[in-house]
Amino acid sequence: MSIVANKDTKVVIMGGVAGVSAAKRMAEFSHLCGLEPSVTSFVYPPDAGKSVEIPFGSQFLSVPVYKTLEEATRKHPESNTALVYIGANRAYKGCMDALDNPSIKFVSMITEGVAEKDAKLLIKHSKKVGKFLNGPSAIGIMSAGECRLGVIGGEYNNLKLSKLHRQGSFGVITKSGGLSNEIMWMLSQFADGSTTTIGIGGDAFPCTDFVTFLEMFEKDQQTKAVVIVGEMGGDLEEKAAAWYAEKPRRIKLIGVVSGFCQESLPKGMKFGHAGAKEGQHGEGSARYKSDIMSKAGVIVPPTFGDLGATIKQVYEDLKSTGQIKEIDDVPPSQLPDLPRKVEEVIKAGDVQVQPLFKTTISDDRGEEPLYCGYPASELINKGYEIPHVIGLLWNKRLLNDKEAEVIRRIIMLSADHGPCVSGALGTIIAACAGIGLSQSVAAGLIMIGPRFGGAVTDASKYFNYGLVNYPNDIPGFLAHMKKNVGPVPGIGHRVKSVKNPDKRVAELKKCVKELGLRSPHLDYALEVEKVTTAKKDNLILNVDGCIACVLTDLGFPADSLNGFFILARTIGMIGHWIDQRREGGRLIRLYNYLVNFAVPRRREVPDKG
Amino acid sequence: MAKVLEGPAMELFNKWGIRTPRHVVISDIHQVDGLVQSNQWMRECKMVVKAHEAIGSRMKLGLVKVELDIDQAVAAAKEIMGRTIQGLTISQVIIAEMVPHQEEYYLAVKSLREGAEVLMAKFGGIEVEENWEKVTKTFVEVGETPTDEQLEKCAKEAGFTGEMVDKVRKFAFRLFECYDNEDGQYMEINPLTINPADGKLVALDAVVLLDADARFRHPDWSFSFAPEFGRAYTEDEKQIMEIDSRVKGSVKFIEIPGGEVAMLPAGGGASVFYSDAVVALNGSLANYAEYSGDPPAWAVEALTDKICSLPGVKHIIVGGAIANFTDVKATFTGIIAGFRKAKEEGKMDGVKIWVRRGGPNEAIGLDYMRKLSDEGFDIQVFDRYTPLTDLVKFALKG
Repeated sequence: MSIVANKDTKVVIMGGVAGVSAAKRMAEFSHLCGLEPSVTSFVYPPDAGKSVEIPFGSQFLSVPVYKTLEEATRKHPESNTALVYIGANRAYKGCMDALDNPSIKFVSMITEGVAEKDAKLLIKHSKKVGKFLNGPSAIGIMSAGECRLGVIGGEYNNLKLSKLHRQGSFGVITKSGGLSNEIMWMLSQFADGSTTTIGIGGDAFPCTDFVTFLEMFEKDQQTKAVVIVGEMGGDLEEKAAAWYAEKPRRIKLIGVVSGFCQESLPKGMKFGHAGAKEGQHGEGSARYKSDIMSKAGVIVPPTFGDLGATIKQVYEDLKSTGQIKEIDDVPPSQLPDLPRKVEEVIKAGDVQVQPLFKTTISDDRGEEPLYCGYPASELINKGYEIPHVIGLLWNKRLLNDKEAEVIRRIIMLSADHGPCVSGALGTIIAACAGIGLSQSVAAGLIMIGPRFGGAVTDASKYFNYGLVNYPNDIPGFLAHMKKNVGPVPGIGHRVKSVKNPDKRVAELKKCVKELGLRSPHLDYALEVEKVTTAKKDNLILNVDGCIACVLTDLGFPADSLNGFFILARTIGMIGHWIDQRREGGRLIRLYNYLVNFAVPRRREVPDKG
Repeated sequence: MAKVLEGPAMELFNKWGIRTPRHVVISDIHQVDGLVQSNQWMRECKMVVKAHEAIGSRMKLGLVKVELDIDQAVAAAKEIMGRTIQGLTISQVIIAEMVPHQEEYYLAVKSLREGAEVLMAKFGGIEVEENWEKVTKTFVEVGETPTDEQLEKCAKEAGFTGEMVDKVRKFAFRLFECYDNEDGQYMEINPLTINPADGKLVALDAVVLLDADARFRHPDWSFSFAPEFGRAYTEDEKQIMEIDSRVKGSVKFIEIPGGEVAMLPAGGGASVFYSDAVVALNGSLANYAEYSGDPPAWAVEALTDKICSLPGVKHIIVGGAIANFTDVKATFTGIIAGFRKAKEEGKMDGVKIWVRRGGPNEAIGLDYMRKLSDEGFDIQVFDRYTPLTDLVKFALKG
């Protein structure tokens, strides 16, 4: 048995992130004890209408979120308990709603920093409606083996270690959340564990006091003794002592109070929770409370350090009188584990997973990205630049400075070629239609192909073919191309010619020669150009062909070469998008006179037969 | 609870119609002459000048000067301002009208669990403590206000007669309204007296304790709270309070000069038991500290930094119960960073560190701590199987 929270407790959690964490912890506990999940729903207006995924064993529960508590309890009429995680400035109203809700029988207020007046008004209202409100600033309630309200009990392994999967014989009431956990752990070591553990919160005026819960424990036959952990300040411990002394009680009562250090501290210096304030005339001090409890028959260990021994003594006494029978515990290894996450299992080396794909260039699992093993920041600090990164990521090789210089120039030369080319035009049309940056740039990029900018890869492929198969036989190569492929990719230009050379090509050739780079493909292509321009003036080595040869000479694989054009031209396309946006470019529609409407005249649609 | 200094406390009183002596608070001594110009009364009344700081026994320390005329008051203000007492430099002075009076009464409102108590006494001033049995009380339920009848009855029982009954009743009602609307926890007027100039009651002093948690609904609380232990907060304490006010969870720090055992425990509950354990073994505390509610690592690091900087520390107790949701690994990462910094600064020489903790990620967190001994720290690490406060015993008994 247990008090306040048990197997029939069904919970509505009011509040956002903290409430979701609590729900996860509560589901873990249900999993440990083999119980149904206890959380029916959330109330959190910003997420109303959504649902929250809560891991439960190897499954995921989908717990709905509502705008109001009224709606939650209407949809989930089995809900009988509200767990309040609402922020301190709105928690009062949330708790009032909960107290006024006919489905809700018990409210546990986790919220910290609640204004004292709000707490006092809640005490008054809870009395009026005849319900219990635990808190504020309360960690929650743990009924071993039956129900967990809140994160009390901590992480999963602690639940097992503290034997919270099954009932013991000791109740616990504390003001402190951390100590509630500590006492449960002590009870599992020095006695047979706990029944129900309640954190009532360390505020000046906890809505529900020690006596309320002592009354309940007295009626709970499973609970044979109760540990209360008090603090200086207020009079809840005195009231508990008076209750205990009032008449013979079935339960044994153990009590410790913190705050003895106060006696040797400068006057007025006060520690701990909000409620830990001594009265004006000595009452409420740790010593005063301890003395009163002792006189009332409460077992008071001299210090907290002696509590373990005291618990053990009480347990042994209860066992010797036959009130407690030793529990035959199953070994912890037989208790269910929390399903491990895939990452954990892999880390432990217990499973082999076939990777979805592999990567050989980049790794960001550490503090910073590694490009082919080189930390990005180190590359920067040692003066490497974007061409080196391209070399690493596209060709897995750290380029030397000459090679990098060529790449830098290629990108600079190819960055843009005005607004009228297919790529830029695609981007501009999209930009003027109000389309976003990435989509507009994509509209430009999809133009890159066999006819626009995409000849680089093919040029590389065929010049390489020629160099390998027709090294000293240009006419043979051209004949092969004519027969099997068609025009040589990289040769020919619509506008440029021998008389009107392409400056970009001239620049690039000059650069390669000046830097003294090895250039077999470029040399071969220039030989080809000599033959083709002899036939027709504009069959020059164009910029695509030139770039293709230079990059192939640098060792870049053929299929990566279009990347240089894509990369470089993206700079221009982004520029065009920004330009159109900034200048407020209007929606573009082609003028009719730019289209030859070679279509049939208007005619009648025949009836459908 | 949060104490409010006299000046802002009187402002709150005035807001609710409670008369106080005319007064000014000065934070820049150059303001004095201007204030004398713009406040006619300062040229007409005798005045009292006090240090406007949270310092106990101000009278004994010579920080209160009475019966002053305008020139004397200005001189007194200039003398008090800027003085350094208990390591604190006086930065504010309050100059108030001195109200000559015969009778001294007592009036207070105190928060109780079910509501509040209005307290009245015809014996005010220092006599109230000696005559505590003559103080009359009347209870007001939370959410209610006191009735005329009950306040009248209370005043009569306290010994007030004739027209004084009505005056005290009205004044008490105003004090209650101030308490109730300003989220008071305790408000006291001692002494309360009749101003012979107009025959009206006036509050010569103002003790105001407010509920700091209610600050969210009082945008006009422009003042900061004062400590209640008879000294001002130190710079380090203020820095931790500032961090505490803006992080999730909490970090707390109060210095106790002269102590040898520095405290760095987790949890508002466990931290006090740790302090108790030190005191029980005749150890001397160097501070109080506490972190809880899963605060960010950097906040715990800042707290650690302050603790390692305390002078004359021989032990640092990194204690804690088994946490519910504070991540041990994460918070310990903050503590360890603080320790490393302190070691580099030479602050850890001869300092023994004692650790005991449980909770989420406890195994990793404790392991990190254990590894500190490889870096030359004098550190002992215990897990959940060592009872909570035993490490204090190990530390102090050797």
